[in-house]
Amino acid sequence: MGRYIVQRLFLLIPTFVGVTLVGFLVMHLAPGDPAELRAAGGLGGAREGAISRNKQGGVDEALSQWRKQYGLDRPLPIQYAVWLKNLVTLNFGESFKDNQSVWNKIIERVPVTVKLNVLSLLLVYLIAIPLGIYSATHSNSLGDQITTLVAFVLFAVPLIWAATMAIVFICGGDFLYLFPPAGLESLDYSSHWSLWRKLKDQAWHIFLPVVLLSYDGFAGLSRYMRASMLEVMGQDFVQMARAKGLQERVVIFKHVLRNSLIPQVTILASILPGLIGGSVIIETIFSIPGLGQLGYESVLARDYPTVLALFTVSAILTLVGILISDLLLAVVDPRIAFGRRQ
Amino acid sequence: MLKGSWRLLLSLFLLMGCRGGETADTENRSAPPIVAKQEATTPVTGDWLVTHALSDPEQLNPLTSNDATASEILSFIFQSLLTRDPRTLELKPLIAQSRPIVSEDKRAYTFKIRRDVHFQDGRPLTGEDVLFSVKAIKCPLVNAPFLQVYFNSIIDAEMIDEYSIRFVTKEPYFLNESVLGENVLILPRHYYDPENLLKDVTLRDLLRDPSKLPDKVKKFADNFNKNYSRNPVGSGPYKFEDWKTGREVDILRDPNYWGNSKPGIDQVFLDRIKYRIINNMDAALVTLKSGSLDTMDLTPIQHTRGTNSERFKREFQKLEYFAPSYSYIGWNNENPIFMDKRVRQAMTYLTNRRQMVKTLLFGLGEVVNGPIFFFRPEYDKTLHDYPYNPDKALTILREAGWKDSDGDGILDKIINGKRTPFRFEFKVPSGSSTGKSIILVLQEELKKHGILATVRELDWTIFLDDVKNHKFDAVIMAWAMQASEPDEYQVWHSSQAANKGSDHISYKNARVDRILEDYRREFDPKKRVKLYREFQEILNDEQPYTFLFARKSVSAVQRRFHGVEVYPAGLRPQEWWVPRSAQKYARETMLQ
Repeated sequence: MGRYIVQRLFLLIPTFVGVTLVGFLVMHLAPGDPAELRAAGGLGGAREGAISRNKQGGVDEALSQWRKQYGLDRPLPIQYAVWLKNLVTLNFGESFKDNQSVWNKIIERVPVTVKLNVLSLLLVYLIAIPLGIYSATHSNSLGDQITTLVAFVLFAVPLIWAATMAIVFICGGDFLYLFPPAGLESLDYSSHWSLWRKLKDQAWHIFLPVVLLSYDGFAGLSRYMRASMLEVMGQDFVQMARAKGLQERVVIFKHVLRNSLIPQVTILASILPGLIGGSVIIETIFSIPGLGQLGYESVLARDYPTVLALFTVSAILTLVGILISDLLLAVVDPRIAFGRRQ
Repeated sequence: MLKGSWRLLLSLFLLMGCRGGETADTENRSAPPIVAKQEATTPVTGDWLVTHALSDPEQLNPLTSNDATASEILSFIFQSLLTRDPRTLELKPLIAQSRPIVSEDKRAYTFKIRRDVHFQDGRPLTGEDVLFSVKAIKCPLVNAPFLQVYFNSIIDAEMIDEYSIRFVTKEPYFLNESVLGENVLILPRHYYDPENLLKDVTLRDLLRDPSKLPDKVKKFADNFNKNYSRNPVGSGPYKFEDWKTGREVDILRDPNYWGNSKPGIDQVFLDRIKYRIINNMDAALVTLKSGSLDTMDLTPIQHTRGTNSERFKREFQKLEYFAPSYSYIGWNNENPIFMDKRVRQAMTYLTNRRQMVKTLLFGLGEVVNGPIFFFRPEYDKTLHDYPYNPDKALTILREAGWKDSDGDGILDKIINGKRTPFRFEFKVPSGSSTGKSIILVLQEELKKHGILATVRELDWTIFLDDVKNHKFDAVIMAWAMQASEPDEYQVWHSSQAANKGSDHISYKNARVDRILEDYRREFDPKKRVKLYREFQEILNDEQPYTFLFARKSVSAVQRRFHGVEVYPAGLRPQEWWVPRSAQKYARETMLQ
């Protein structure tokens, strides 16, 4: 097992380098130039299609000076090598926007995004797993069909539309005022508040984003659950258990559920990067200062170091997630034995 | 308050007004009835203004920041030698005792500095700070190349005594006073260069090869670039309090502001200005309605729908003002089709600009016929208007030799011995929905007359690149400018057509070149107006652009604020105040 882990870790290195190379190239070869963007007056100009003027010439010189300051005048392979070299020492460089360390910018936003995503994942699992069990045990009943339909309808509703509707209708405009339309805490939020009041305020703010972030996840997970439950239920040992005269409840929860959870473990691989990746749409619509918002703003501003850092972090988490789920599989399923010769 | 020209885009979000409120405030603006009459006339301090920002400022370093939100916040924290009177737009002294003394050869400017000014940390402001601020801008290692472009003409600066400073410029240019007076934000030397590393470095030293600069300059620049992004200190009436990333930026009224109750210095009243960052305009409007924002800029659609209920009108007033900018269609003057000025004139006749203002801008705009902000005295109101007139357009095109000779439904003409159909491409930045709509309307109109126009949408930076390299037939764009004295050299002088200059349509006219050059050297405003009248007449005849319109912005402001006025230079929240009985937020415990 130990040897297997070491092997896998070494295999991660070329994969990782490959992934970052692709990410680096995509970012740098995509059209658009951060220097030009700044010279034209930043993102405000892009929004309005307007350029500011009255500069007294010499803009080209300024452009090349700016590129030089950020090392963008060097050939791409060298830029990549420098970037990779810094990465080894965990130095993600400095943002083009404010010369601040990219690492600090990310760390600053991690708690918000993690909070949002953990809550939403919990919600998804709490609802989807029972839903899947119900669908499997009552397969093809009316209840199964209705839950399936509802799950798929929710899956099909575009998030951006749902979020906008929620803001317009239940966030205090001309209609109901049930939830706040933006931010994570009230305007007068203060650290002097009692813990209870703080929690209440934060819960009130985070409720709607969490629900919106979760609703489209029910369909996928409950389907997975249903399918693997049904598969296990068709197997001989389940028949055996029933034949022994065990109660149906015991058959389902003790024998079927446990075995059908094994495939769910692999889903862990996709959860880990998702925790950090965050939701660009929800964070932007609800003005939540998390990593999704940071990524979105950085892509628009062509802030290469920040985008690449976010990309790298999620690449690492994906790779680690895959590794962990492989190992977990061995733990939960003793039939799998890594690295041992047959 | 708009400071230097480098913060131009501010104008697109903030507030430029029309004169005397001709169009301002379509609604009744009475004070809330609960406020007693006397109370409503004497400004008092207190209360907050909670205002909207669409995104975080990039950073709050006054030299290296480059975005509109930051410029606006910094304009409350920092001050310059001169400022503009909000009504007349004339320059007037602020940190300087008076406007500068200009030397005989019009190249040297001497400013005398007030002796009673101190920074927010209590230390006095002297000529040393002014000199340092200019040196910091000129320092090639400071990460502000796009700001430095404005200061190319400044070649020397020296202190005459502790409170006077003399600048030397490359050549006589009437806007140098504004560059020095308005664009140099005065930074406290003791704060931004605590080790006084620039002390022995003269401004002339900084103009030399950057690689030969002494190490201490490099040390200064590194420190300056990195460590002053979120902690500005200046001499202005508001001091920086807090910035929670992605949430809010707070500035507080400085109770020890040097200008407190000084005659001729603008007073401020609101204890706190809070910028709430809300990335989404719908959410912002909802927030405004729920009472957690006091003011925001509305989009045209929000103005026409969604802010007209009785309840909204009871709580908010809406103010309209012009942003000093104009939209235009640029015809590539080197394109064989558009080389002929008659074709360009015809295109303008075919563009129904009034209808576009009405339907696409919901009436929030004004048709313009020239490149100058039309509230400026330089703007010529007598220019030919080119009203929508397809018949006239077709007559002109026929005179110019365009007809459908091969019967394929598309006009054509023999150009350079080749039959050329009237077919071209519009390039549009994909972010600009108004631009797209305009082109679609125009495309439809042109099709009726046998002119085939295709549309290509491009990402902003790619669009800019094509524009700079003159790779287009026609583009739709806008120029953002200032409400102060115009200088059109950058856009229309033939020298700017080369080397990726701003004359991206390759407009060339010898007489115009001459006018633009003379204008820059002319220190008499009346003569400048005369020069620019002639310039506009030439443009009006040649139609290198089809000038479209200047857009209006609309802001909603909560009615508890008094002193809300629309100036030619925009709304000025620093003048607003709230009568005591209507104050919403608790009085601040002023921290020293």
